[in-house]
Amino acid sequence: MYLKQSKGNSVVNDWLNEKGFNAFAFQQQTWQHILNKESGLVNAPTGCGKTFSVFLGTLISFINQHPTDYTTKKNNKLQLLWITPLRALAKDIGRAMEEVLEELAIPWKVGIRNGDTSVKERTKQKSQMPEVLIITPESLHLLLAQKNYPTFFSSLKIIAVDEWHELLGSKRGVQVELAIARIVHCQQPRVTNKPLVWGISATIGNLVEAKEVLLSPISKKGLIVNANLNKNIEVNSIFPDEIEKFPWAGHLGIRLAEKIIPIIQESKTTLIFINTRGMSEIWYQKLLTIAPELAGVIALHHGSIEPALRHWVEEALHTGKLKAVVCTASLDLGVDFRPVDTVIQIGSPKGVSRFLQRAGRSGHSPGETSKIYFLPTHSLELIEAAALKTAIKRNEIESKVPMMLCFDVLIQFLCTIAISDGFNATEQFAEIKSTFSFRDMTEDEWQEILQHITVGGVALKQYDEFKKVEIIDGLYRVISRKMAMRHRMHIGTIVSDAMLKVKFVSGGYIGVIEEYFISRLDPGDVFTLAGRNLELVAIKDMTVSVRKSNAKKSLVPSWMGGRMSLTANLSHILRETFTNAIDNNHVPELQILQPLLKLQKELSHIPQKNELLIEQIEDKDGFHLLVYPFEGRNVHEAMSAILAYRIGKITPITFSISMNDYGFELLSDQPIPVDDTNVRELFLIENLLIDIQKSMNSTEMARRKFRDIAVIGGLIFQGMPGEKKKARHLQSSASLLFNVFSEYDADNLLLRQAYDELMIQQMEEVRLRNAFQRIQDSQIVVMFPTQLTPLSFPIIVDGLNRNNLSSETLEDRVKKMQQQLNAS
Amino acid sequence: MQNPVPHIIHNNIFWVSPARTLYWEEQKTLIVADLHLGKTGHFRKSGIGIPQSLYKADLQRLMAQIYLYKVDRLLIVGDFTHSKFTKELDLFIKWRNDFSLLHIDLVKGNHDILTNSWYQEANINLHEWELLIDGFLFRHEDKRLKHKEDKPVKYTFSGHLHPGFTIKGKGKQSLRFPCFYFANEHCVLPAFSKFTGSFKVKPEKGETVYAITDTELMKIG
Repeated sequence: MYLKQSKGNSVVNDWLNEKGFNAFAFQQQTWQHILNKESGLVNAPTGCGKTFSVFLGTLISFINQHPTDYTTKKNNKLQLLWITPLRALAKDIGRAMEEVLEELAIPWKVGIRNGDTSVKERTKQKSQMPEVLIITPESLHLLLAQKNYPTFFSSLKIIAVDEWHELLGSKRGVQVELAIARIVHCQQPRVTNKPLVWGISATIGNLVEAKEVLLSPISKKGLIVNANLNKNIEVNSIFPDEIEKFPWAGHLGIRLAEKIIPIIQESKTTLIFINTRGMSEIWYQKLLTIAPELAGVIALHHGSIEPALRHWVEEALHTGKLKAVVCTASLDLGVDFRPVDTVIQIGSPKGVSRFLQRAGRSGHSPGETSKIYFLPTHSLELIEAAALKTAIKRNEIESKVPMMLCFDVLIQFLCTIAISDGFNATEQFAEIKSTFSFRDMTEDEWQEILQHITVGGVALKQYDEFKKVEIIDGLYRVISRKMAMRHRMHIGTIVSDAMLKVKFVSGGYIGVIEEYFISRLDPGDVFTLAGRNLELVAIKDMTVSVRKSNAKKSLVPSWMGGRMSLTANLSHILRETFTNAIDNNHVPELQILQPLLKLQKELSHIPQKNELLIEQIEDKDGFHLLVYPFEGRNVHEAMSAILAYRIGKITPITFSISMNDYGFELLSDQPIPVDDTNVRELFLIENLLIDIQKSMNSTEMARRKFRDIAVIGGLIFQGMPGEKKKARHLQSSASLLFNVFSEYDADNLLLRQAYDELMIQQMEEVRLRNAFQRIQDSQIVVMFPTQLTPLSFPIIVDGLNRNNLSSETLEDRVKKMQQQLNAS
Repeated sequence: MQNPVPHIIHNNIFWVSPARTLYWEEQKTLIVADLHLGKTGHFRKSGIGIPQSLYKADLQRLMAQIYLYKVDRLLIVGDFTHSKFTKELDLFIKWRNDFSLLHIDLVKGNHDILTNSWYQEANINLHEWELLIDGFLFRHEDKRLKHKEDKPVKYTFSGHLHPGFTIKGKGKQSLRFPCFYFANEHCVLPAFSKFTGSFKVKPEKGETVYAITDTELMKIG
């Protein structure tokens, strides 16, 4: 059907004209494609009517089908399923849709379903599905855990996935792929009327692939609609008054807090983005302390804050009641807050696309300029600011690499559909293979997964009572109600890392913290949470007991945000920027850094484009070997393990390894046998794959990957309200499970996945190989500075996330440490 | 595995073993703590597939120790089993029948919640709170460890804590091992089961810790 001649189009256009708007070209294109029953991907930035492209298309289609009675036709069952990554977005989008429906006099209902939806509302939805349902990936899976779920989707016309760029490349994206496959296939009898699938995505480097992943379950090629709306972006850095006194390391940047007060005051509304929740707390407190007049007009927004308060903040942002909001990625996405005209980014955004997205939160209207300030948390970050500017100028934006073969997510999903209606193994295999993520899954792997959920690995047959999924009349099902209830509680856990509750010894809940961070602390250590200094007393039963502390120094939790790695794209530009940094007087960020760069040059060297700098420094901690490939944290983690492994082959030696986005450090208690004569051999490409595998086994990397997998795959039970006492006997840490599986069931599916993920996603083997190739073609410069250099400092100081690698026997290490202990 | 090391308390010899057991020579008694038998089964029953070979290995290690010393008595200072009954415990009963002459004492711990009839069937003597043998006291949890008040009257052996010792070296190296913790008037045993976490202890002057590496003991202090 031709759009322009359709009734729906004229209804919608009349309404738009009445309001003084015109439809954008990309919106009209999308509408036409929807009328043509095509699926695809809309590429448009936030804040230019991307929601209306797919939503109005659905309405036009509906009006065309019911030209005479579309204003009276009620209870049409579910027509549009709208998947969104963030709960916070649902309300605003729902409200916008309701407004349109009301003005067009279409009697549709809009429902929201997520973790915040009340039980009453859910039951209502079950008996009478609204025409539009806005849902998160987790809640969608919960919906698939309901008996007779196929009836919900019997008249579904369109599945829309909003902010697809945000979901792609994460395990939640895989959840979406699996859910789409299930919904499309559970409608089997009505083959002629399969729902269309539309994704909405900001610009990423691999849009075509993004579309391919999304449409894979419906085996359609689909179309890409491009909005082509370019926006002007103005980037400014905030400079310390005296660069000499500005810290060389850190990730808080609080010393520059005073500098942003005038920016806040001159702007209408400012969003202040910080990478982690812990730091956002500290910044919020600090701003209130130095500018008490802001009390009441600044607020805090992050994922751990209770929903009611979050909603209030969002509401107040809409109405322009707030001068500033300190926030984390929680406000990265979503509908626009019109009053926002300024954005401040604190610390490295780690990638160009994230920086652009945040910048785009200010100055929405076409023609307006987005203004973003970059506030460095340590001196060298200013170089990153310069690199970001270059990347934006050249429009070099990252790709999101889709995740493949996530068996943990698949195991969770299979249990989910085993709870509701059960599944047939053969049909399900074909369906799973229709998704992009699992298209390469082998029959053997599939059988192993079925084994995993029905038999549970290595068992003593006659003494075993393993129970999860049972095969009844050829269907894989979960019968136990208790098991089903537990699994439902579990589905939401995919978002977060293993989290522990933090409570005062005397009672009183403070918040949650990542197991990863807290497991590295000892009782008596002091850390900061929710703006308070807390002393760790004990960790038990997934709860961290703390008491108040007056200590001046405390550790700031490193959340996921702190572990994000620089993208390949940005690190390549960063290397380039560094090369031209000295004596550069054009770029303000580099100009101010001159004293620091000169010191680096004086003490050691400034690496040029075709050089790799290595520094060897000896101090009271031991012997440091520092290497600066500027490849981002992930690549450095892998590279450092390989180097440590290779040096360990020369002589028995133990390393403690630390890294950041610029380089890495190998620290040992004995001299490190590396100099001009043998350094090139350490970077040979030959045997790279074998050495990766060997070094991986000897570090913490796989253990850490296993944490998330153990949680998603259902090995770690987070507990549920009302069942606390019983659940206590079911608790164990990921690290203990890792040991147990490594020793007693080394072939375990989830353990293997930890190694595979490490290899593919984190190590980014291709990128690693390229890095080795580049280094092989470069000059290697080995320096022996007499003191810590500006480049080395942040790596050595931020050593909380250390890896270890040793080629000595455990007993030898212990003996040596014991001697040191006795000597001291 | 390294041979056991003698540790002398009040003229009695206690053999410390990296197999996580303590053998009391004078009483021909093997002392262990926190076996958590049936823990793997409990997890498996709830759909968490912990390999059961771990449970079997734990039992075999215990059996080997009983043979090695030819003990008369097995004394467990609490947390013998992990939770409610699971089928796994039948394997223990079968095993128990092969050692019918062995005397087993259990000082109850917080995890020991099976019915009395089960302990009867397993031929285990229950002690609700503590057991006194020749001037030595055995308890599951030594409360005095937490509140340093009220000086101990008798030398006490306990479990419950799952003590672990962290050794630090130059170059920011750090390793953590399960350990025996001997203070002046009490001793905390390591958890026997390998499916347990650990709680860090810091020995003070005059106290001794035996850290257990894979197969060896390391004496500190």
